[in-house]
Order: sequence, then structure tokens, then C-alpha cells
Amino acid sequence: MTVGPARARRRTGPLASEARWAWFFLAPTILGLVLLSAGPILATLAISLTSWDLLQAPRLVGLQNFVDLLGDDRFLHALRNTVFYTVTSVPLGLALALGLALALNRTIRGIAWIRTAYFLPVVTSTVAISLVWAWIYSPEQGILNQVLGLFGVPAQRWISDPFWAMPAIVVMAVWQGLGTNVIIFLAGLQAIPEEYYDAAQVDGAGRWGRFRHVTLPMLTPSIFFTGILSLIGSFQVFDQVYVLARPGRPTEATTTVVYFIYENGFRNFKMGYASAASWVLFMIVALLTALYFRSQSRWVHYG
Amino acid sequence: MTRSTARLGALRRVAGIAALPVILAFVAAGCGQAATTIEYSIWGDPAELASQQAIVDAFHEANPSITVKVTVSDWDTYWDKLQTGLAGGAAPDVFAMDGPLFPDFQSRGVLLDLKSYVDKDKYDLTQLADQGVKDFTTADGGQYGLPRDLNVIVLYYNKAMFDEAGVAYPDDTWDWAKLVEAAHKLTLDKDGDGTTDQWGLYTETTDMENYWSSLVWQNGGDIIAPDGKSTLLGSEEAVGGLQFLQDLIWKEKVVPEPALFAETGDAFEQGQAAMEANGSWLVPTLEAAGIELGIAPLPQGPAGRATSVNPTGAVVYKDSKNPDAAWLFVKYLASPAAQEKLMALKASLPVSKEVLAGPYAASFDGAQVFADSLAYAHLKPSFLGYNEFTAILQEELDTNVFNEPKKTARDAIDTVLAELNALLAGQ
Repeated sequence: MTVGPARARRRTGPLASEARWAWFFLAPTILGLVLLSAGPILATLAISLTSWDLLQAPRLVGLQNFVDLLGDDRFLHALRNTVFYTVTSVPLGLALALGLALALNRTIRGIAWIRTAYFLPVVTSTVAISLVWAWIYSPEQGILNQVLGLFGVPAQRWISDPFWAMPAIVVMAVWQGLGTNVIIFLAGLQAIPEEYYDAAQVDGAGRWGRFRHVTLPMLTPSIFFTGILSLIGSFQVFDQVYVLARPGRPTEATTTVVYFIYENGFRNFKMGYASAASWVLFMIVALLTALYFRSQSRWVHYG
Repeated sequence: MTRSTARLGALRRVAGIAALPVILAFVAAGCGQAATTIEYSIWGDPAELASQQAIVDAFHEANPSITVKVTVSDWDTYWDKLQTGLAGGAAPDVFAMDGPLFPDFQSRGVLLDLKSYVDKDKYDLTQLADQGVKDFTTADGGQYGLPRDLNVIVLYYNKAMFDEAGVAYPDDTWDWAKLVEAAHKLTLDKDGDGTTDQWGLYTETTDMENYWSSLVWQNGGDIIAPDGKSTLLGSEEAVGGLQFLQDLIWKEKVVPEPALFAETGDAFEQGQAAMEANGSWLVPTLEAAGIELGIAPLPQGPAGRATSVNPTGAVVYKDSKNPDAAWLFVKYLASPAAQEKLMALKASLPVSKEVLAGPYAASFDGAQVFADSLAYAHLKPSFLGYNEFTAILQEELDTNVFNEPKKTARDAIDTVLAELNALLAGQ
């Protein structure tokens, strides 16, 4: 009889205190999210239904902003450019990171330094990186054209030519973001038990077979995770475009949705319109994320 | 009067009746001797901040009861912060205002009309450069700020390059034809590899101020109708000015195409161009670059002489808690004492006529050219919807006229004319 309550206490005791600790550690993030993100996010929904120049009282316009967006060529260009950026930079970034992680997943001298080198761009300011890449892409003095020139490739205007501008930004962004994905993939690779490889070897699997049937399936949770981060991040591309677009400002070929939002909200005194655009972006990202999550059961293997 | 009583009412509601005598005493003291702190926001670089800080310190010395706190940001951040500050009711008491953007802020009721202060103090506005005052005056006679400094466009030249090519220095007799002729003589392929290594002329194309607005005016055209409700860029004269710049780049090939120096910056500063059409703000930079610098007026066009003047003003936040101190400070910024300090930076022209004609004109070689140019300078267009207008216009011009000659100036302007007019009409 005395065992019951004691056992019950033992069951709830540590768990309850663990939960308390969990909430304690989560509190800063949750508070920050609720106070600094959730409020403003809901506010933009209200603002998106108004015409508001930030300085005078907003005027309710219903769904007019959303209707206007659909007929705004600049917004559609921004959307097109953002989609282009996403469908190129996400697969490219993931594939390169996976390749690099496989190459770096070994014990050779100085491997820690090499891994650090790949992570450096991640912790470097995008503005600094964009400025360096602007030099790389410079038509006459830039190293890219100089190197290509050695092979007889004619000089290109990587940034000012509308055809090359977006690919040039994609290449820079992929390079910059590699480190994050590499780190996650490396962690994933090192979590794969050695026994699986041994078993595969016993079954006669070669290098490719082991990669295809052990490494890749075991890595799908990491791929899923990096995929979702890259997808969401790429729809928010802004600073690379903002700094790299020269001479002048981002044009039809390089404007992205977030730049469009910034320009309308803070330059053109159209905060309502900008809020509507940000909700369109939010809905697109939410929809894609949902679809991505639903696809999980078909290709992601846990354990 | 009504402002301070309204403020008092608000205070009373918060503090309660019991505190009223204390508050009354405090408010009364605030108008007189008690210490007041006002915030003054500017955009700029470290040199400008140092210059403005020196002026602020001198002001504090003359008015020990008022402390001015200067906050500085770079250009883009400045406007982001200002707009969010204004939206949240926490804007600086006094802040710098770019002439072209003034209507967008004034019309939205966030600036304090200083007319009553001007009248009360019998402040003589004619002591300041006319264009500078005009930029902050409204049609109904309001005066929403005073100019702080001016920037004009001139022709810089590299004396060593002219000497080497045996070309006479530019002077006030130069016209477009002479400019093209000299620029050709100064555009050189020194190592004979087929690419130009010295350009006749350098300028920037991404903003009307650097050169193309002056070309439009020199050709007898204009940019914005006086009422700000339509653009005049469709005229033959205006298009001719734009076309001249496209020709300098793509037909005469004496100006480098914009992409070439987009990343590396000013070709003239780097000693790769013999002339540069650009603003007065470059003087300190060009002097530091070690160039044998000459300064001449912009060459005149078919319709005569013209350049662009763009005033920066100091304006007061409508809900400033210390409008009296703010006015004192704004007035001080335009005073000869402050203007002489500003002048030492060489980055812009003083607005005080006394300083312009006297100490400034003799302060460095070429300062006289800047001072004289005000006589024929047009105000940089200042109208509602300025940012959106220029974004649409420049995207078309940059993409299709200047960065690449995909269209003539006429075709490009015709492409965006209806959109620009609709935008202006809707403001």
C-alpha cells in the first residue's frame, strides 16, 4: 500500500522537475517569439488590409493590396526571381554540401582546420562577403573574368548583365551557406553505426552500394532538416541582392520578394502594401513547408 | 502656446492633480534655464559626424542650458530608423532632411512649421542661399526647416593628365562640343592592348543628381512640372540631355560604361579618368587621393549653363518636447559661426550667404567655382513620391540606356512615361 504512492511520486517527481527545467530553458525563446515575433506577425496581417504610409493613420482597404499585388509586374518579377533563386540554390547547396561532408568525414591531419575553413563564410557578414564577390565578378579587374580569359572565355558582366545577375548571386549564396549544411551532414554521417557498414560489406556491398543503401538512407533526416532550413531561408533572400546589385539598385532581373517588401515599406511609404506582400510570401513558404513535411514519410528514414 | 498647454494636460492626466504644482514649476523652468537635452539625427561618415559634433559643442558653449545629443547612421539605415521612429512617436527632436524627400515627410504632418519662430525672432531668411530656403518652404507659406548645407555639381579635372595630353584646362567657356573634343584627346589606350586605360570623363549614372539632371537643364528641358503632378521628361530637350550622356558612354566611348567601375568605385579618384562630373561632396576624397585637382563649372549645353543644387536641411519633429530649444539649434546650424565650421570639411557648400561670399570662396582652390555656380543652379527636383518615381525611372535608364544601349533615351522614356505620370498624379 505504501509502495503505490511512493512509486507514483517517483514517476512524477523527476519528470515534473525535468519539465519545469525544460520550460525554464525554453522560456527565453518562447517569450522572445511571442513578444517580438508573434505580435508583429499578427500586426502585419492587420496592416496588410490597410493603406498605411507609416506616418499618418492607416485607412482600411480590405483585400485591395492583395488584388493590386497580383497585377503588379514588379511583384511578379520579384516572385519569379525568388523562385529561380530557390530552385537553383537549394538543390545545388544540398548536393555540394553532401559531397563535401563525405570528403571531410575522415580522420586526416588538420581535418579540424579544413572543416573550420568551410564554416568561416557562414559566420562572416553577408555584406562583407557580397563586397568581396562584387570584386570577383568585376568585369575588367575581377578574378573570375581573368581566370576565364586564360581559357579564351570572353569577359562577362556578371552582375550588370540581366542574364547572369541572378546565377551570380546564387553561386555566391551557395558558397556562403555551404558550411552550415556540411556541419549538419557531418554530424549525421558520424551518427551512422559502423556495424551497418560491416553488415553491408559482409553482404557484398561495394562503395557505391554502401553509400546508396546505408549512408544515404541513414542521412535522410539530416537532408530533410537542411532542406527545410534552406527552403525557408532562400525565400527570404535579401542582403546578397541588396549589396551585390550594381550599378544602382536591384532591377527586374534581381529584385526579390523581400527586397520588394523593403522598398515598398521603407522607401515608397506603402507599409500596407508591403505587409500584404509579406503575407503572400509567408503563405507560399508555409504551403511549401507543409508539402515538404508531408513528403517526409515517403523518403525520410528514422533509425 | 496651445502646444505647451496640450502637453501640460497630458502630463496632468498621467501624474495626477496632486503633482500639478511641481509639474507647473518644472515646465516653467524648462522654458527658461533648466537643462534641456535634444536629439539631433544625421546621416554621414565619421568626418561629417566629427564636423557636426564640433558645431554641436560650440552650440552648447553658447547655450549651456541645452545639450544636443548627435546620433548618426549611414544613408539607408537613417531613413529606416527615422520612419520607424516617427511611426512610433519617438523621433529625434531635430533631424537632417534631404531636399528631394522633404515633401514626402512634410505632407504627412510629421514636421513642425517654424514660421511662427521665424516671425517672432524676425529671422532674416534672405541671409541664406535662396534655393536652400525654398526647398523647405511650402506653397502656403510654411517654413518647415532651414537649410544646413548645399551640394552642387561641377567638373573636376586632373591637371597632370591635361598637361600630358597638351589640352588646355576646362574653363567657363566650355560647351558640350568642347567637352567631347577634349574627352577624346584624353581617352587613351596607353599599352595598345585594345582596351582603354585612361578615360576622358567619369561620372555616375544611377542618380539624376550626379550629372544627367544638369544635362537635361543645359539642353533646355526639365524633369518635374512645377506642381509636381507630372513629369516633363518626355520633351525633346529633356530626352536630348539623357541621350547626350548615353552617347558619351556608348557612341563617343569617352566615359566608361557603368559596369566597369561599379565595384571598384570612382575612376577619376583612382587616376583612371581625366575629368569627372560630380558633386561637391567629393572634394575631400579627391584631395586625399593625391590628384592634381582642378575644378571648373560644368560645360554649358545648347540652352546655356546649368547645374544641380541639393540642400540638406535641419527640420524639427512635430511632437518634439523641446521645440524652442530645437528652433534655437536649427537657427544655430545655419549661423555664420556654425557654417564656417562646416565649411572646413570642404564636403559641401555653406548656406549662409555671408560665409559663401567671404571665407568660403577663398577657402580652397576652386571654392569660388562652387560659390558662383549657385547663380545658375537648379534645385534638385523635390516632390511627392520621389523615391518611387526615381526607382522606376532609374531602373529603365540604367538597364536600357546607360548600362547597356538597348534603347535610345527617347524609347526608354516613352516606355515609362505613362507609369511615371500616373504615379505623380496619384500622389
